[in-house]
Amino acid sequence: MIVLSDYLILSAIVFCIGLAGIFINRTNIIMLLMCVELILAAVNTNFIAFSYFGSDIAGQIFVFFILTVAAAEVSIGLAILTLVYRNRGSIDVDVTNSLKG
Amino acid sequence: MEFTSILFYVFALYFIGSAVLMVTSRNTIKAAMFLILSFFSVASLWVLLEAEFLAITLILVYVGAVMVLFLFVIKMLDIDKSTVRAKFTKYLPLGIVVSVVVISQMVLILSAGHFDLDNSIGPVRKAADFSNISQLANDLYTLYVYPFELAAVLLLTAIIAAITLVHRKESRSKRQNIAEQVNVQVADRVRLVSASSSKSKESK
Amino acid sequence: MENAYLTIVLAPLIGSIIVGLAGNRLGRTLSHSITILGVFVSTVLALYVFNFHVLQDGAVFNQNIYTWMQVGGLNISIGFLIDNLTSVMLVVVSFVSLMVHIYTIGYMHDDDGYTKFFSYISLFTFAMFMLVMSNNFMQLFFGWEAVGLVSYLLIGFWHSKESAIEASLKAFLVNRVGDFGFLLGIAVLLMFFGTLDYADTFAMVGQVSGQTIFGGVSVITVICLLLFVGAMGKSAQVPLHVWLPGSMEGPTPISALIHAATMVTAGIFMVSRMSPIFEFSDVALTVVMVVGAITALSMGLLGIVQNDIKRIVAYSTLSQLGYMTVALGVSAYSVAIFHLMTHAFFKALLFLAAGSVIVALHHEQDIRQMGALRKKMPITYITSLVGTLALIGFPGFAGFYSKDMIIEAVHFSSLPFSEWAYYAVVGGVFITAFYSLRMFFIVFHGESRVDPHTEQHLHETAPSITVPLILLAIPSVVIGYFTIEPMLFAGWLENSIYIDDSVHESMQSLKHHFHSAFSLITHSVATAPFWMMVGGGVAAWVFSLYRTDWAAAIQKRFHRINYVLESLYGFDRLNEIVFVRGSRKLGDFLWRISDMAIIDQFVVNGSARLMRFMGSVIRPVQTGYLYHYAFFMIIGLMLVLTWVLVAGENPLLFLGS
Repeated sequence: MIVLSDYLILSAIVFCIGLAGIFINRTNIIMLLMCVELILAAVNTNFIAFSYFGSDIAGQIFVFFILTVAAAEVSIGLAILTLVYRNRGSIDVDVTNSLKG
Repeated sequence: MEFTSILFYVFALYFIGSAVLMVTSRNTIKAAMFLILSFFSVASLWVLLEAEFLAITLILVYVGAVMVLFLFVIKMLDIDKSTVRAKFTKYLPLGIVVSVVVISQMVLILSAGHFDLDNSIGPVRKAADFSNISQLANDLYTLYVYPFELAAVLLLTAIIAAITLVHRKESRSKRQNIAEQVNVQVADRVRLVSASSSKSKESK
Repeated sequence: MENAYLTIVLAPLIGSIIVGLAGNRLGRTLSHSITILGVFVSTVLALYVFNFHVLQDGAVFNQNIYTWMQVGGLNISIGFLIDNLTSVMLVVVSFVSLMVHIYTIGYMHDDDGYTKFFSYISLFTFAMFMLVMSNNFMQLFFGWEAVGLVSYLLIGFWHSKESAIEASLKAFLVNRVGDFGFLLGIAVLLMFFGTLDYADTFAMVGQVSGQTIFGGVSVITVICLLLFVGAMGKSAQVPLHVWLPGSMEGPTPISALIHAATMVTAGIFMVSRMSPIFEFSDVALTVVMVVGAITALSMGLLGIVQNDIKRIVAYSTLSQLGYMTVALGVSAYSVAIFHLMTHAFFKALLFLAAGSVIVALHHEQDIRQMGALRKKMPITYITSLVGTLALIGFPGFAGFYSKDMIIEAVHFSSLPFSEWAYYAVVGGVFITAFYSLRMFFIVFHGESRVDPHTEQHLHETAPSITVPLILLAIPSVVIGYFTIEPMLFAGWLENSIYIDDSVHESMQSLKHHFHSAFSLITHSVATAPFWMMVGGGVAAWVFSLYRTDWAAAIQKRFHRINYVLESLYGFDRLNEIVFVRGSRKLGDFLWRISDMAIIDQFVVNGSARLMRFMGSVIRPVQTGYLYHYAFFMIIGLMLVLTWVLVAGENPLLFLGS
């Protein structure tokens, strides 16, 4: 019998793997973006689980919107990445610290 | 053990496994592939949770569009493999520690007892021909129609933004240089002139 | 009748605006014709109004013409109060203004600003009418300020002359000090009476008279004293008198119009108009009387040592204004107005005659360069003689009646210090006679000290100058005789002036002792002022004609007193040291310390520096590296989770149950 907390724990584990991925792959921007996608997938699973176990369709609606926003975000993020590469010559995160205070 | 439970554990294992492999891979292309694998397992989990429409959407949109986009960009840009590798091992222990801590904290919180999750909610299984799409559509186009429209506008904005960003044509913009404006001196703006008053003939 | 009043006010204004805007295009003749026509219309209508109100006992006109604004319960409007007092003032102002307008044709003939001058004096006439005809304090204040403004413009008319500019500024600033007190008085009045309308205020005086302010000082006293400060500024009482001699820098027509006959009498008019309020405060009346007496005496003394013909007449004006103020102080308001009227005529006459002499001598103003002009300028000589006799109070002439009445009124007063004031005004008669006849003898008699080149061309001045002199000389002779009885005793001014006869019996005693105008002449030889006048005249003749070297000898002998007099009692020096330098030091302090150091350095730059410092402390958190930010987020998440787990009774944990 799979209960809600199983799904929540699964989602939490993958979330933290994604966080760790951000932490580990800090220099590679593409890897960062992909870890963010992983985190979003985990969160979406969380929502769907609640929607199923709570019999409320609102969870799935929310996932709908999260998918939309994530797609938009990825496209713009990659556009920025392209620009950075065009201007700096590499996607090493160390060169993108011009917002340093 | 029920069949669904076995399926759950299998897909969960795939999910976690591909996630770990993705995070620890040195090759960016391989990482993208593992991510695609993890999306597939997520989609299967969602089908288990009777969210069929979203599962298919995930495959179509995420894997079909977003990950393809990723692969395009990865191939387009030149990534220096050596630097990736060098910094990798430096932060690995700290990353593992942090994630383990957070995972254990979350598990502690989320496990049964604190939120009384096991006793409260039970799933309502629906019939085999129940249409998840129509259930979604019912709410989406009535209750949540405004967010729906907003999401559309958001996508439009994203299109315009992405195009504008990468567009190569030079833009002519008139920008203010605030620092220059604030540093203006009196001599640049005011010039004092002495003028003589009109001469009136005094009848003296 | 309302149209008549409106026309009186607006005719000079329209003339002033037309000539002011289009003067150069209209040309000189048309400009002066338009303005003179405007003032002539006003004069005729003023006489008609006088006839209606005073001679035929017409009803008092008190109406608001136009409501300017309503703020809360306060209604500020433009309105006219035409009663006998107003009618008398209208006649005086309009007639003198008309004479000055005609005079200007000849006097300012060679001046470039000819049309501008006419515009200004018409504007002044308008402002004076507004002041005199107003029925509320706000309009009075408007007229008050406007005449001050036009006075400033006219004193500094020859704006390339530095002394004129300084004098005009001085006049305006000293006037402003008076206006400040005036405004405070109006404010206190508004606070306690709740209205600015004359009629409403006068009706309420009885109620308010018991109230006190500042712990025990009667409100009425405070109001009257503050209003009198305004009168001191405008009517040049000590110590706010310093501007009047300087105002002689302006052309002579305005000295006649503004600083002899009209503007300086605005203060006297105002106190008379406010007689219902002043009667309730003995303190204020005593102050008025004392200030007037001081002015009358001290300014007369200064007139003795002056050598500029216009300054002598200026100090004479100051002294006579002191006389009027003394009359106000002893509650003899109608006497003060009577003296105002006669003084307007003969002082304007004296100023215009002085101007005639100046023009004839090609703008020579020092009397030591004049002499024996009586043969060459007969009309000026005779009219000057008339004016001088009126001024010194020669029996029969206008000034004799008014001055004598003032002296008698002071004599009968029971206010504290009235004895001293009586001696002051009687002594003032001697001094007045002395300096007036000194000037007369030195200018018109004796041997000629005129520059020989000018003497060849010396002749009587143009008719446009001499005709006004003649027209002003006539009232200087007769108006006293004919108007003393009706104005003072038969109640011409009865419906405008209120006197509390129980406490202030001067007017009653005067009435009691008065028999007829003619009897005043015959009895004059028995009074002290008459012999004072004779004594002064004799002394003047001795020092000016008989033994002219005695004057220099006495000046050397009493050189210290002479020094005090010649430095004008040091008022100018006091003002310069205390107020001018004080203001500059204050300004300096405010600039250097307050503005530059405190505001610029400490507050503005200081806050900027503080921000920069705080920023420099917080800035290092922004490392610029994306993964650092992500790391901080994760750490934060960890901390929140720890808090949820560890802290007992955590509200977040109750969400599920």
